[in-house]
Amino acid sequence: MSYALIIAEVRRGVFEERNLDSAGIAALLGKEAVMLIPDGAYEAGNIAETVVKVKVAEEVFLNPLNLKNILGQVFAARGNPDLIVFTHSSFGMESAAYTAGAFGFPVVTDVSGYDKEKGVFLKSYYSDKIFGEFKASGGPVVISVRSGSFKEFAVDKAAKAEEMEGAAPVETRTFVEYVEEEKADVDITKADFLLSVGRGIGSKEEIPAYEDLAGRLKAVLSGSRPVIDKMWLPKPRQVGTSGKTVRPKVYLAMGISGAFQHIAGMKDSECIIAVNKDTEAPIFQYAHFGIIADIHKVRDKLKEIVG
Amino acid sequence: MNILVFAKRVAATQEEELRIRDEGAAVDLSKVPFKINDWDNYSVEEAVRIVEKTGGTVTAISIGDAESDEVLRRAIAMGARDGFLVSSGEIFHDPGVRSRLIQNFIRKENIPFDVIFTGVQSEDDQFGCVGGILGACLGLPYSSMVIGIDAVEKDHMIIRRELEGGLQERVKIAVPCVLSIQSGINEPRYVSIMGIRKASKVERKVFQAADYAAPASAGIEVVRWTYPEKKGGATMLTGELDTVCGQLLGILKEKGVFQ
Ligand SMILES: Cc1cc2nc3c(=O)[nH]c(=O)nc-3n(C[C@H](O)[C@H](O)[C@H](O)COP(=O)(O)OP(=O)(O)OC[C@H]3O[C@@H](n4cnc5c(N)ncnc54)[C@H](O)[C@@H]3O)c2cc1C
Ligand SMILES: Cc1cc2nc3c(=O)[nH]c(=O)nc-3n(C[C@H](O)[C@H](O)[C@H](O)COP(=O)(O)OP(=O)(O)OC[C@H]3O[C@@H](n4cnc5c(N)ncnc54)[C@H](O)[C@@H]3O)c2cc1C
Repeated sequence: MSYALIIAEVRRGVFEERNLDSAGIAALLGKEAVMLIPDGAYEAGNIAETVVKVKVAEEVFLNPLNLKNILGQVFAARGNPDLIVFTHSSFGMESAAYTAGAFGFPVVTDVSGYDKEKGVFLKSYYSDKIFGEFKASGGPVVISVRSGSFKEFAVDKAAKAEEMEGAAPVETRTFVEYVEEEKADVDITKADFLLSVGRGIGSKEEIPAYEDLAGRLKAVLSGSRPVIDKMWLPKPRQVGTSGKTVRPKVYLAMGISGAFQHIAGMKDSECIIAVNKDTEAPIFQYAHFGIIADIHKVRDKLKEIVG
Repeated sequence: MNILVFAKRVAATQEEELRIRDEGAAVDLSKVPFKINDWDNYSVEEAVRIVEKTGGTVTAISIGDAESDEVLRRAIAMGARDGFLVSSGEIFHDPGVRSRLIQNFIRKENIPFDVIFTGVQSEDDQFGCVGGILGACLGLPYSSMVIGIDAVEKDHMIIRRELEGGLQERVKIAVPCVLSIQSGINEPRYVSIMGIRKASKVERKVFQAADYAAPASAGIEVVRWTYPEKKGGATMLTGELDTVCGQLLGILKEKGVFQ
């Protein structure tokens, strides 16, 4: 039977909203959807024809090695699906690749579009500057979908409930505990005005000058991931999927290209202003106002005017 | 501990204007600078740090054309003992094909290892797949998004995986295993031109990819390259720097965040 198998992403009892994108692409492709979810009281909504509760704990389910065994059981019981859908997240990225490798299935990750006429998946290259149209052959295709890309296509479905026993958990990879983030000096999610700097600032030596500008503008300084990775700013100041989601009145992005992991963390800001020297920087697609200029020059000029 | 680190030479396109050639058949990278994949820089550093503590060796492996040797010299300058180039002029858009090639290479050449490192993803293609597929093909435990390695024992490691929103997960994983390293796990050491010159004197072995190629039954293929769909986009502020900055401050005032 032809169906799409959706592997639900859950974390600490929460059914992630991103699963709507997985349901959306299944609907867009006109596939009957079967969704796998671990044992627990999740608010999964009615987004698949069948919801199969796998009677294992969340941490067991979220482990790609266990998931491989669970999927083996599902395929044996239902036959192979045409499509296996993960969210493009810390869980989905890991498990989509491992699943593809384990079963020898083709895989396309970070899918953000589907062309129905051509039957091709769209996938980002070079941080969204180019997209590739992908065709898959030779088996159920494994995909991970970019959050926000397909949720509008999700429709109400019957959500017939089923249960299955899960295979015994593996011992070669086991969950130990969750580790919370270090405490922050400021909470960037509370700021009305964020001045956010990216890799474009060039070096750590530039940070004080941006801190100074933020001070004069009464803005809070935040950054994209590379700035935090390089330890130019502390982790709690990171905007994006693996950092904070912010919704300030104004988000002023300087030297940030606009990778989706960053965009996902700031796209709901009331007003986004981007400064970048690259006219093609993807961030200009999401910004309300754009300036094509050298950020250091803009910084110095602003300081000069504001005093 | 013997660690194999996969490192890729990638196009640094962040500041480049990219053009599609031949009606969507190819992306023109002829004028784009190349460098080591950012994620792989972190993973070479992590491997070198572990070996400095536990003993053993780091072997850097790159698949690509002769230019990829640059990545190997850099890894050796950082502390890798060996650099292997699996030479290939061919395009593999399918990460599965690439992972199976790596698998065959490791098996055929009988390369001993305790742990294999890859980056979480490559900057250019952003598949984030090579590590996971490789782990599954080799039948080894796997973890991606590795943002910390807390303990290294003979038969296992305690690692931290990065999840969303700043949360992490501590995991115990058996050795041998495959780990995909997340950026920010460490502060990679500075590599000087002198260091790279010295590393050039260390012999890098070259292997031919064709000797390890696996016939692919399933796969993906790029039908066409396209530009992103324009979403309306921003209102551009133009003119002299003075004017533009004045307009910017005007917007801040209008939004009530600056007086
Ligand atoms: C699992 C995972 C999670 C991630 N989570 C996050 C996250 O939470 N947050 C996040 O931000 N990223 C995240 N990333 C990384 C993301 O994919 C990008 O790598 C990152 O956002 C790029 O940051 P950037 O825009 O600062 O740097 P780049 O992409 O390098 O862009 C720098 C920009 O600066 C411009 N520039 C350079 N010099 C100047 C100048 N003098 N004047 C003007 N402009 C200049 C360039 O044109 C370029 O557009 C994650 C990645 C993965 C795989
Ligand atoms: C326009 C274009 C042209 C291309 N031309 C070529 C070409 O001529 N020849 C070619 O070989 N590929 C080429 N590629 C790249 C190829 O399509 C991808 O590298 C492949 O699909 C694997 O995906 P990834 O690099 O995104 O790996 P990811 O799964 O994102 O990478 C994760 C990790 O895998 C490891 N890894 C990936 N690739 C390599 C490598 N080559 N060597 C060592 N470690 C690696 C690294 O540790 C990396 O951090 C091209 C891609 C594009 C867009």
